[in-house]
Amino acid sequence: MDFSRVELDEDQQRFLEEVRAFTAEHVTEEVHEHERQTGSGFNLGVHLELGKRGWVMPEWPVEKGGAGLDPVRAKLLDLELHRARLPDVTMGTTRLTIGTVEKFGDPIMVAEVVKQVAEGTARICLGYSETESGSDIAGAKTRAVQDGDEWVINGQKIWTTGAQQCQYAFLITRTDFDLPKHKGLTMFLLPLEVPGVEIQPIHTYGGERTNVVYFSDVRISDRYRLGGVNDGWSVLRGPLDDEHSIGGPEAERSFQDISIGSMFVHQLERALDAAYAWAKTPAPDGSRPIDDPLVQYRLGAVALRLEASISTPGPLGRVKGSESLVLGGAELVDLVGPLALISEGHPDAHAGGEIDYSHRFAQGTATYGGTVEVFRNIIAQHVLGLPRANYPGHKVLSQKRRESSAAVASPVPQPA
Amino acid sequence: MDRFELRYQDYSLSEDQQTVRDAFRDFFTSESPSSRVRAAEPTGFDERLWRQLSEMGAASMSLPEAVGGDDATLLDLLLVAEELGRALAPVPCIEQAVSARALHAIGAPSDLLAAAADGSSVCALAPEPVGRGARQLVPGGAVAQNVLALDGDALVLVHSDEPPAHVPNQGRTPLAWWDLAGGQRRELARGAHAVEVYERAQAEWKLLMASALVGLTEQALHIAVEFAKTRETMGVVIGSLQGVAFPLADIAIGIAGARNLTRRAAWYLENEPGVRPDLVPAAYAYAAQVATHGATTAQHTQGGLGFTTEADASLYFLRAKGWSVLFGDPVKDIAAAGRLLADELPSQTAPVLAAATG
Ligand SMILES: Cc1cc2nc3c(=O)[nH]c(=O)nc-3n(C[C@H](O)[C@H](O)[C@H](O)COP(=O)(O)OP(=O)(O)OC[C@H]3O[C@@H](n4cnc5c(N)ncnc54)[C@H](O)[C@@H]3O)c2cc1C
Repeated sequence: MDFSRVELDEDQQRFLEEVRAFTAEHVTEEVHEHERQTGSGFNLGVHLELGKRGWVMPEWPVEKGGAGLDPVRAKLLDLELHRARLPDVTMGTTRLTIGTVEKFGDPIMVAEVVKQVAEGTARICLGYSETESGSDIAGAKTRAVQDGDEWVINGQKIWTTGAQQCQYAFLITRTDFDLPKHKGLTMFLLPLEVPGVEIQPIHTYGGERTNVVYFSDVRISDRYRLGGVNDGWSVLRGPLDDEHSIGGPEAERSFQDISIGSMFVHQLERALDAAYAWAKTPAPDGSRPIDDPLVQYRLGAVALRLEASISTPGPLGRVKGSESLVLGGAELVDLVGPLALISEGHPDAHAGGEIDYSHRFAQGTATYGGTVEVFRNIIAQHVLGLPRANYPGHKVLSQKRRESSAAVASPVPQPA
Repeated sequence: MDRFELRYQDYSLSEDQQTVRDAFRDFFTSESPSSRVRAAEPTGFDERLWRQLSEMGAASMSLPEAVGGDDATLLDLLLVAEELGRALAPVPCIEQAVSARALHAIGAPSDLLAAAADGSSVCALAPEPVGRGARQLVPGGAVAQNVLALDGDALVLVHSDEPPAHVPNQGRTPLAWWDLAGGQRRELARGAHAVEVYERAQAEWKLLMASALVGLTEQALHIAVEFAKTRETMGVVIGSLQGVAFPLADIAIGIAGARNLTRRAAWYLENEPGVRPDLVPAAYAYAAQVATHGATTAQHTQGGLGFTTEADASLYFLRAKGWSVLFGDPVKDIAAAGRLLADELPSQTAPVLAAATG
């Protein structure tokens, strides 16, 4: 057990200063304003600057385009980018998948992509969800049909966050509609800048932009296949388990966040700090909200949610983190009152509208990356050892889905 | 507080700590089965268990070797408390350990310290300063010869050769009324240090109780999960129903977080006191919430059976509240956390704001 400050040696201290100089120079108010306007979770200028320093993949060796950072430096970089609020969703999806691409992809294709990812010129989005299958990822029915050395892809993905600024989609397709559900899937690293791909925006009230992506007779080379035909599920498991953080023991001398909900926790921290700033502001008569025991209690209750979230490990922390943000965000709006409702960007908005934003943003966290219900299933089965319910569509593609797929899929050329 | 400061996030136990935990888990499993817990009702004191535990050094282990202890840390004591809670062990071990540490911290006479360390007499801790009321329901008070209390800025030891009468209560604990203003009182120290030692003892009691509640809740969950794996309704086991499974998953979430939060709070208290004082009341209040909610859910999972005195789940249900409220309403601790945090946080928030991280 250890929660002490990590002592930095001179080089690490210098590195920290370098990162702080970087964020001061590059993660500017314009970057935040751009993010407010677009909700894209990405900033090309900053991303390319990161790439120049090897900081997109900071722990990769320099030869590979990384910066060869040791874990302490990598974590310092991470903390400072969070402090500066770098919009980093697309960097996150890229980092999440590139390892699997390397492991399962054609070596020549991989060499190209690895180079581009490291320098920042290529980004990868997650092409899992479809309109009829979100939680049920393995129910995907975007169809891939082999045609010689090529594959022809037809169908549609939804919630493909960052697609508009990515060069590749880490795509799950169905290559066999008759095999058991998990056995008929094939993964691709689909280049997005090819004919037949159409990206349309979807906007959330949390401010994010995500997408619908249509595939109409999209032809890609077989070199973009990841792993074996119909073996997509084992390819997908890696990043999926990473996103669900199954496994990860509480390591000794670790300074990594133990909760995979820590992304959400950061937002709750900002909202709570904003509420404290309000509570510590004296009224003309000198009284401050924080001097009222009821306000102390309400702030304490949110602080308790926050601290509990920070300390809840792995997939349990994902649920706790999201629910703490959902409940805590709502509580802070109540506490601060109408002032908390004023929109971000308006000069009267309290602390830049942080609390209003948190309450809206919070709702998405219960859904993406696997809903909190899906995680409760995981906890019930894998932590508690409870039996899984017997759903008719668990192992096979439901009849409804097969039929609807036949109806929407454009005619595709049959393999020669 | 700088939220982006690089600190270790190491919740792991050393090999020695795992050994301590395992030893106490084995001990309580064999020596404090539910039959013994029931047999010790209604007073909630098992004298034989108390003697065995004293021999194992449960109360003295965190004292320095020079005075008969093992130099164990507060963190080590948390592990013992968690196992005690898991087994609902009917012994005033938390009270004794906390008092012994306080007596040592204040430099109490060696005879007092020795008696607290070897368990030959029981020393309890007054839940509140005497100024809030001299007549207090003292946890462990029905088996204690001494109670450590704070009167004004004086740390006093109130003595009674015969402990006062046991007061029957929901948690089946050895509660008794003590008159802390009267009786045989001995002033141990006075001034800021005395107040500090008392408040520190209160904080340690809360952290150890939080750990005990974590152990308690985990065992209640275990009982419920085992039941849910075999009990059937309409041809399926109830544990496969999300209406049953999800509340159990929520308990697991609460337990994992409360355990780690308690460890983090104790680490700060022991290693960097004053840096995160808010964590102690937060950990305690959270453990109390998790135990209340967890024990309720656990007994409910067993349907009618869980509501009966025959079911072990009921033992856990009654103690979840019966232990967690002994030092007063945990909601006050939530307010305390809120108040303390105000001084730890900067008054200004960072001016930047951007949308979207997901
Ligand atoms: C802002 C945003 C960004 C996203 N980004 C991406 C992305 O980049 N790439 C990508 O592929 N996807 C992305 N998603 C999609 C996201 O992963 C899905 O929305 C999510 O998995 C839920 O799927 P669904 O929306 O189809 O809801 P459904 O799966 O239909 O669920 C509807 C409701 O039923 C519940 N439910 C479903 N199954 C179960 C079950 N087995 N047990 C209990 N309850 C259940 C759910 O919890 C939910 O409350 C994003 C979503 C959002 C909102």
